Amino acid sequence: MAGAALTVEQIDYAVRGKALLRGVSLDLLAGKVNVILGPNGAGKSTLLKIVSGRLKPTGGRVLYDGEDVGQIDAATLARRRAFLSQHVEIDAAVSVGTVAMMGRYPHFARTPGHRDRDIVEGALALVGIAHLRDRLYPTLSGGEQQRVQLARVLAQIWADESAPVRRTLLLDEPLAGLDIQHQLQLLDVLASLTAEGCTILMTVHDLNLAIERGDRLVFLRDGMVADTLDRPATPDDALIRRVFDVGATMLTGADGQAALRFHR
Amino acid sequence: MRGLAWSRVQLLLAAALLLAVLAALCTGAFFFPPAQVLRFAGQSLGLVAEGEDTFERNVFLMLRLPRVLLCGLTGATLGLSGALMQGLFRNPIVEPGLAGTSSGAALGASIVLVFGGEATAITAPLGAAAVPAMAFAGGLAATMLVYRIASVFGKTDVLALLLAGIAVNAACNAGTGFLSYIARDPQARSITFWNLGTFTTANWPGTALVAAIFLPCLLIVLRQGKALNALMLGEDDAAYLGLDPDRLVFRLLVLNTLIVSVATAMVGVIAFVGLIVPHMVRLLRSSDHRFLLPASALIGATLMELVDVLARLVIRPAELPVGIITALIGAPLFLYILLLHRRRLAG
Repeated sequence: MAGAALTVEQIDYAVRGKALLRGVSLDLLAGKVNVILGPNGAGKSTLLKIVSGRLKPTGGRVLYDGEDVGQIDAATLARRRAFLSQHVEIDAAVSVGTVAMMGRYPHFARTPGHRDRDIVEGALALVGIAHLRDRLYPTLSGGEQQRVQLARVLAQIWADESAPVRRTLLLDEPLAGLDIQHQLQLLDVLASLTAEGCTILMTVHDLNLAIERGDRLVFLRDGMVADTLDRPATPDDALIRRVFDVGATMLTGADGQAALRFHR
Repeated sequence: MRGLAWSRVQLLLAAALLLAVLAALCTGAFFFPPAQVLRFAGQSLGLVAEGEDTFERNVFLMLRLPRVLLCGLTGATLGLSGALMQGLFRNPIVEPGLAGTSSGAALGASIVLVFGGEATAITAPLGAAAVPAMAFAGGLAATMLVYRIASVFGKTDVLALLLAGIAVNAACNAGTGFLSYIARDPQARSITFWNLGTFTTANWPGTALVAAIFLPCLLIVLRQGKALNALMLGEDDAAYLGLDPDRLVFRLLVLNTLIVSVATAMVGVIAFVGLIVPHMVRLLRSSDHRFLLPASALIGATLMELVDVLARLVIRPAELPVGIITALIGAPLFLYILLLHRRRLAG
């Protein structure tokens, strides 16, 4: 099943007269890893929330397979697209298994079925936290909590052979709270999702990881698209300066992979 | 397996409630032996032949039975409301007493009690329903005010919530106090007594009204376990799971205010039950609302029956307002919960 064709058309968004996004159009690759890059305050998280359907834009529209996100019924949308937030705090004694099962809430009415349980087990195993299933969520470290949330959103849009849908996963700074090993693990999980045809759109701060793993990079600055690059992306010094206000030197590693070093 | 264990705990809680109800039916100014209580029940159902103790039976049917039922319904209301509000505000130290719901409802009801239902154009056509209707209006206004002040960008701020609750409670209590001061003597006495919470005035019409409001609301709320769980993630993440958090919170707050206001209009303000009961449930099992909500209703009812038994025994043949006992038990428990939280935060 191919990933959802996700189209973002001429998005404007303003809060109290202050424009946060201006005429943002994204042409995203279906079934690939799309990355939004930009400095703090560029409008990345706002754009992601608009794409998710949580925020209504003041102008423009977001289309999932040609269907306006505002027109898609909430439950249907929840089975087709999931969203991993930056940090989810829970101040209640709930187990990891219960939190992960919340990802299946759009799929069952009152009690989870065998399939839902299997999927949650699969998602916990995929993220490598099956052993934490009975631990209480608030007692986990920040990185572990983030991985529980990843398992939850994976369970939400887990592939269903009997009723295939075109799936989309949105992630807001998914690498931020993770150590290097788990950053790479998360990126591997995303790669396996795209191999199944899931469309990925995420915001990332680490330019080098974005270049290495992203299929399409969108640079955002002051609420506008500054540039879009496809793999193999080699952003030049001028672009980095224009978007991030820093200088950059491109180095080439022994494996031929380009890496950026930054300076003022 | 977990489902089985849950239903077993629920069964135990239901059995405890039945025992507490039986104890409450026996105790009071008049003591009815359990065998007599069962015989009354049998006679009312037409299973047992009429006896000679018709006077006792009338006392039992007209005074004791509605009182015990009202007491159980009120306890279930407060327990459920505590669990519900703690879920909606995503904060374990909320309850209808702290959030202004009860005192707002009391103020609304006092207005009708002092001036009479005929005094205003709005309440005149309501007749006997004027007291609960005005209680609902007062409770809703107070709750929504506290909620608006405490929620910023979809999150509730604990400090703002408590401070807003204190201010709204103070204003409402001042209003009720003013009304009882200007009221003629018998009204004033009833307001003061009822401000501490009491089941002495229980009668069949009042009990029936509380039941008619509470039971349908209970069924609706019990269906929201999944949604309230999802709300633990925060409003944004609940929305990504397909919920409409704004509408959910608003509807359940109105429902919550309705059940609390109607109970308050009948029995007055009873503090701390809504706060303590969900914490007792969490000690039992977990914070999963599919368990928390029904268990809080059951434990709330059981606790209320026991407190009312105590209220009737302590200074027998007179009795204490139940609100005094719940505050005496609840306040130290509340402090203990705060200490536990601090210790947990300190690691």
